[in-house]
Amino acid sequence: MKLTIFNGSPRGKGSNTKILLDHFTRGFTEIAHTGENGETIPNKIDLAYLAKVRDMEEYVEMFREAERVLLAFPLYTDAMPGIVKHFIESLEPLCGMKNNPEIGFIVQSGFPEPAHSRYVEKYLEKLAARLHCKYLGTVVKGGVEGIQVQPPGMTKKLFDSFYRLGLEFGKTGAFDDGILRSLAPRERLSGFVRFVLTILSPTGLPNFYWNRQLKKNNAFDKRFARPYQGKVAEVPKV
Amino acid sequence: MKITILNGNPDGRNTDFDLFIEKLSIFLDKEQKKVRHLKLRGMDIKYCNGCWGCWVKTPGECQFPDDSKTVCEEVINSDLVLFASPMIMGFTSALLKKTMDKLIPLLHPYIEFVRKECHHRKRYDKYPKIGLLLDKTGADEEDVAITVSIFERFALNFKNRLNFVEYTTHPVQEVMNEINNL
Repeated sequence: MKLTIFNGSPRGKGSNTKILLDHFTRGFTEIAHTGENGETIPNKIDLAYLAKVRDMEEYVEMFREAERVLLAFPLYTDAMPGIVKHFIESLEPLCGMKNNPEIGFIVQSGFPEPAHSRYVEKYLEKLAARLHCKYLGTVVKGGVEGIQVQPPGMTKKLFDSFYRLGLEFGKTGAFDDGILRSLAPRERLSGFVRFVLTILSPTGLPNFYWNRQLKKNNAFDKRFARPYQGKVAEVPKV
Repeated sequence: MKITILNGNPDGRNTDFDLFIEKLSIFLDKEQKKVRHLKLRGMDIKYCNGCWGCWVKTPGECQFPDDSKTVCEEVINSDLVLFASPMIMGFTSALLKKTMDKLIPLLHPYIEFVRKECHHRKRYDKYPKIGLLLDKTGADEEDVAITVSIFERFALNFKNRLNFVEYTTHPVQEVMNEINNL
């Protein structure tokens, strides 16, 4: 089975999306299938980073030739990042064509709740229909922003889940419903978690991730800056 | 009342869309509204690269120089921002979306609970009202409903609500009425 993956993170190879995809593809490529003549054909991936927007024509060609596509991206202002929308618009000539690939999606967010991503999920399902692609579903995962700085013990379960997701996808060509549910067990934080975070708020602990970076950059004292307060912009002539 | 129109029409050949906005701007101007019409396709707006420099290095502004600073200045000092775009592949244009991504500096990285959900805290005291103007040529009702639902979420994160949705198939006066009723 061959899978064409588009990493739609603006951070490209430095992205959290890449980390999740690495675990997914580790599982996916462990699987092999038997060919028509009894030969063993290992699963393969083809990978593109949409952050390289200059290569968009090449990506459209990759999409056109793909058997199955996985488009993964972080949630940006409640939808897909601008580069991903640019890619989607580049696919417009393929609308209504026969033999477009099957397509699945991964949407990850910094917000811990899957609820934030459900709106763009509806868009993605409609996009698959618009392209006449068989819709394979959308993996939604919240709370991903800190995974590059979290200790291994905090990310093991998440990475294992993406590995198993890739493994099952490699076998069946579909997302495993049970793993999908385990990645988004509840749409919003429980009242207890919200209560604890609210209590901890004055201590600054919930903002530790941001404060650490602000201090590292000598910007902590300016964290509440309002650089545009009351300003009137000079609008460039167009 | 200060109004900023973010014109996300990427195609200069789509003159009907631009003419609609220009007519709207003239009408608003006649009613003593202060209007800034930003044609985004003529501005140098880079894609957000997700570095979060606008939160942790130069708080409140993108660390890379481009015209998104102009957009941020106009937006945060407006009473109303009209997000305007043709529907392309079932949603507003990539041009408008990349501009929306660059509004992130106007919010604070810290999180608060709103409607029992995590959302970013305010950076400024006041945020503009939000309107949406769509050219829905080539889109169906489901596309419009999905787009509106995403803009309702965007408005919630932008410390306000989506005040109205209008279409370029309607008379300009109808958009005027929506604005005057705010």
